[in-house]
Amino acid sequence: MAELRNYAAPRSLAEALQVLASGPATVLAGGTDLMPQSRSARVRFASTLLNIQGVAELRGVRRRDGAVEIGALTTIATLRDDPAVRNGAPVLWQACDHFASDQIRNAATIGGNICNASPAGDTLVPLLVLDASVVLASGGAAGILERRLPLSEFLTGPGRTARRPDELLVEVHIPVPASGWVDRYVKFGTRPALDISTIALAVGGTLLDGRLENARLALGAVAPTAIRAHDAERVLAEGPLDRARIDRVVDAADATIHPISDVRASDWYRRELVHNLLRRMLTDVCPN
Amino acid sequence: MAPTPREEAFADSLIGRRVPKLDAPDKASGRTRYLHDINVPGQLHAKILRATEVHARIVSIDVEAARRVPGVHAVITAADVPWQRPIGITKDHMPLKADIVRSRRDEIAAVAADTVQAAQEALRLIRVAYEPLPIVTNSAQALGPGAPLLHGEDLRVPGRNGALEVVHKACSDNVSMAYEYGHGDVSQGERESVVVVEDVFWLHYVTHCCMGVSGVIAEFDASGSLLLYSNTQVPFLHKREFAELLGIDPGRIRIIQPPIGGGFGSKLDIYPFEPIAIFLAKITRRPVKLLFTREEEFIASPTRQPVLLKLRSGCDREGRLTFRAVDTIHDNGAYTSWGATTPFVMMQTISSLYRVPHCHYRTRAVYTNNPYAGSFRGYGNLQATFAVEAHMDKLADALGMDALEFRLLNAQDPGESTPQGMHFRSCGFKECLGTAAERSDYAAKRRRNLEHWNDGNPVKRGIGMASMLHVGGGAKMYPSDGCGTIIKLDDFAKVTLITGASEIGQGSETVLALLVCEELGLPIDSVTVVNNDTAITPWDVGVHASRTTFIGGNSAIGAARKAKRKILEIAAPKAGRTPDDLDLRGGHIVLRATGERIQEIGKFLRSLHFSEKAELVMTTYYYEPPSVHLDRNYKGNVSAAYAWATQVAEVEVDTDTGIVRLLKITAAHDVGRVLNRLGIEGQIEGGIVMGQGYALSEDLLVEDGVIRNPNFRDYKLVTAPEIPEMDVSFIETMDGEGPQGAKGVGEAPAICIAAAVANAIYNATGTRIYALPFTPEKVYRALRGSNMPPKWPADAA
Ligand SMILES: Cc1cc2nc3c(=O)[nH]c(=O)nc-3n(C[C@H](O)[C@H](O)[C@H](O)COP(=O)(O)OP(=O)(O)OC[C@H]3O[C@@H](n4cnc5c(N)ncnc54)[C@H](O)[C@@H]3O)c2cc1C
Repeated sequence: MAELRNYAAPRSLAEALQVLASGPATVLAGGTDLMPQSRSARVRFASTLLNIQGVAELRGVRRRDGAVEIGALTTIATLRDDPAVRNGAPVLWQACDHFASDQIRNAATIGGNICNASPAGDTLVPLLVLDASVVLASGGAAGILERRLPLSEFLTGPGRTARRPDELLVEVHIPVPASGWVDRYVKFGTRPALDISTIALAVGGTLLDGRLENARLALGAVAPTAIRAHDAERVLAEGPLDRARIDRVVDAADATIHPISDVRASDWYRRELVHNLLRRMLTDVCPN
Repeated sequence: MAPTPREEAFADSLIGRRVPKLDAPDKASGRTRYLHDINVPGQLHAKILRATEVHARIVSIDVEAARRVPGVHAVITAADVPWQRPIGITKDHMPLKADIVRSRRDEIAAVAADTVQAAQEALRLIRVAYEPLPIVTNSAQALGPGAPLLHGEDLRVPGRNGALEVVHKACSDNVSMAYEYGHGDVSQGERESVVVVEDVFWLHYVTHCCMGVSGVIAEFDASGSLLLYSNTQVPFLHKREFAELLGIDPGRIRIIQPPIGGGFGSKLDIYPFEPIAIFLAKITRRPVKLLFTREEEFIASPTRQPVLLKLRSGCDREGRLTFRAVDTIHDNGAYTSWGATTPFVMMQTISSLYRVPHCHYRTRAVYTNNPYAGSFRGYGNLQATFAVEAHMDKLADALGMDALEFRLLNAQDPGESTPQGMHFRSCGFKECLGTAAERSDYAAKRRRNLEHWNDGNPVKRGIGMASMLHVGGGAKMYPSDGCGTIIKLDDFAKVTLITGASEIGQGSETVLALLVCEELGLPIDSVTVVNNDTAITPWDVGVHASRTTFIGGNSAIGAARKAKRKILEIAAPKAGRTPDDLDLRGGHIVLRATGERIQEIGKFLRSLHFSEKAELVMTTYYYEPPSVHLDRNYKGNVSAAYAWATQVAEVEVDTDTGIVRLLKITAAHDVGRVLNRLGIEGQIEGGIVMGQGYALSEDLLVEDGVIRNPNFRDYKLVTAPEIPEMDVSFIETMDGEGPQGAKGVGEAPAICIAAAVANAIYNATGTRIYALPFTPEKVYRALRGSNMPPKWPADAA
């Protein structure tokens, strides 16, 4: 932390963007990733630390025009307690329910989880299944520019995103799924609380006559970013979800992933988990 | 019917009641001042530079830039303390390393500065040049021919007269310590067997994870006497050791023990950071405070002893054990601490948990470039029990005998003396077995689970049993295993209990206060316990071996009885009675037979104090248990009592992921007698959770001498949602020597869990896993037959 020179704690988005526009700054939201990372010297702070906690307009969940809009500063605890999330995006709700512990959920924000871009970030997998996009803002006093990117394009690598240094993530945009939508989230960690996902899976789609239409399947901690498994989705869409199809979905997912070995699991074991838990999840979402 | 006065008088007995820990309100409200909260005026902050190589020669250390950092008062290396002396069980370990580093925790330099930040900045500027040496991080390889030697040269330090003397002899085979024990004739046992099983087990690295990280404050006064604020578990032994290290009179060392944030055996030895803080205090003439970071705590505090263990056991046609032969290789790590002495406990379980006519036990503790092992709750017993109880199931199954029947047939009875010389004055082993089996419905569930092995459901259930024997009345490892107590009563019948027994979170001060109140007929809140200052408290050997309630308890009772005797002897003539007619109950001197109140105790004490006799009631007592040292052949009745337990584990195994969930523990413990029910429940439940972590989740990953997961993210302690349902029964055998009949229980609950879980996983899946821990990937691999079971090294004989 040696070179930290300025600390900014703006009250409005415009002020925050002004700070970002004027030079390199490290954004601090809940700090639950940033603080441990800076302590272990994995990130170095820029000369300015920009604490966005005071920007009230970045907080909260709104339901508007067939979408759920989540402010970047909304905490995981708020998401877990919000009926709009629970009803409109149950797969995200499930992920929030499995997220860390109460203490961390109270501080951790969805914007931080997305911008941290860990392959194991727990909200990313359900957000991919929900076809979420992110809203990025830049500018300042003179005016605010916004652009919207699908989450899948925003995540570019482990810890890497398409965010420009002068941009702030301000909102997550989730189209409310059509009626008949079903989804599931499965996180595998060695313990039920306070665990980084060894792998995470989520599936969603419209259930019709034993088939999953418009199916979306996403996986976490098995590739450089959380990913959609498009090939497997195509297999899902082709016909009823019987045993043979589930086997083919699993094969297609297997061909999509590139798990690594680390202290938490070997690449082989991660693959095995994807096979077994994907099979179990699909059987569960469409039982017959 | 209304209670008689006598019944009423005895209704206030505290024994077996649920008494909250005396320190609980302070701890729960954040008022407790731990070592971490103590700051001494004028103190400096110390930090240690550790090796970045696993095994290397130190070519040079450049501290010049570090010395120039503003706020830095001292930067020291071995060169600055030529008078330093070695620490450790075999004196093979210099606090600051001069020429060679042998593990990644090795201390190279230390800084004392005005602030922690300045000290850290100085560390960053120290340059060390190394010349790497070949490393050996596998204990079997360390035994092999041509292995690099870790302590291949004599360790010499200047003696008192300045001349160099050898303090640790060159070790030419990396064997730091070796043990061999036997009784009977194993080959005869082998001939008498119809079933023989042999397996190799691997018991992994775990560490204590005390919530309070290690630390010390060292301060010399103007006359050169040393005051240490230390969380040691053995203040009186360490007083002597520090004196030897410094070449000063032990009388000039005082240790104050602030409340501790967890011990579990980790504070039984002196580690380099303590002498280093003392060196810095001596050199700077300032108080020096040194605290570990959490990462440092993982890297530089001791581990439980990792063990490679080969066990061969047999039984005859009737199911009687015929023999047991054990060979172990202990990974000693780079230096020798208490982990190397765990065979003392392991061989008791091997020779005497069950009746074994022929027995052979051997251990070699082998130097490697790994972290070194210290003492940890259970002291080798978790490792030995893991192997022994696996074989109890395997032998029973091979014979087609019920696993419980098989154990009952071989279990010890009260009154027995074992070939190793242990005498079981009280022994509730068979009651433990019966109670745990019955309350868990062990036999029926064990049978039923087998029917599901091939039913297609990926989630299986299993039940498994394991039992343990552990010292419960101290362990005579030193010339004395005693504890002293001083009791004083003030004018208002408030008691100050001054005891040598240290409180390390186990609840000793509460149980000692309870025992004293029981004798003196006073309420628990009338006691103040003083137990944390060697300048005040009488001698005690320390907190270890589950001894404090037993030894400290008997000592406290002894002092309380003397006080009581004195009161009754003075009160009796005035009441026209003999002392034996009287008793102390409910804050009063009463008639023993009827409970009739004669005088309030406080009033009596005031009248004694302000009478012509002008006396106070103050007593002392020193209790030495009737146990003996082990002889040269490791035989002897080393403890005044022995504790027993059976624990039954029920698990659910998801064969799709390998995750094992612990559903329920049914435990039956022979504790002699329940003193503080709340305290003993807490002790058992906490121990079960610690055993659960050892079995299922905790795994200190040491690869090529480097700890891969020095943090709580990847070193997985058990969290609240994983804690199983617990059904705990207490078997009260009323030990004749124990305080009010009680026996020690501190270590017992952690000992059997891993063994019971292993048996449960087998019952669920038909797969036996020989290596701990049962983390999901390992279990999954084992279920798929794709793991490598532990092997006994060919060249380790
Ligand atoms: C004990 C513990 C347990 C955890 N468990 C989990 C878990 O189960 N699942 C999981 O997914 N994660 C877990 N985490 C990680 C962490 O809590 C989450 O990733 C969290 O969502 C991060 O949010 P934050 O607000 O704390 O982010 P911060 O730490 O403040 O920021 C994270 C990163 O995002 C950037 N950033 C934050 N907000 C913005 C924004 N609006 N615009 C641009 N950049 C921004 C920051 O600069 C930083 O690089 C855990 C962490 C801890 C310490």
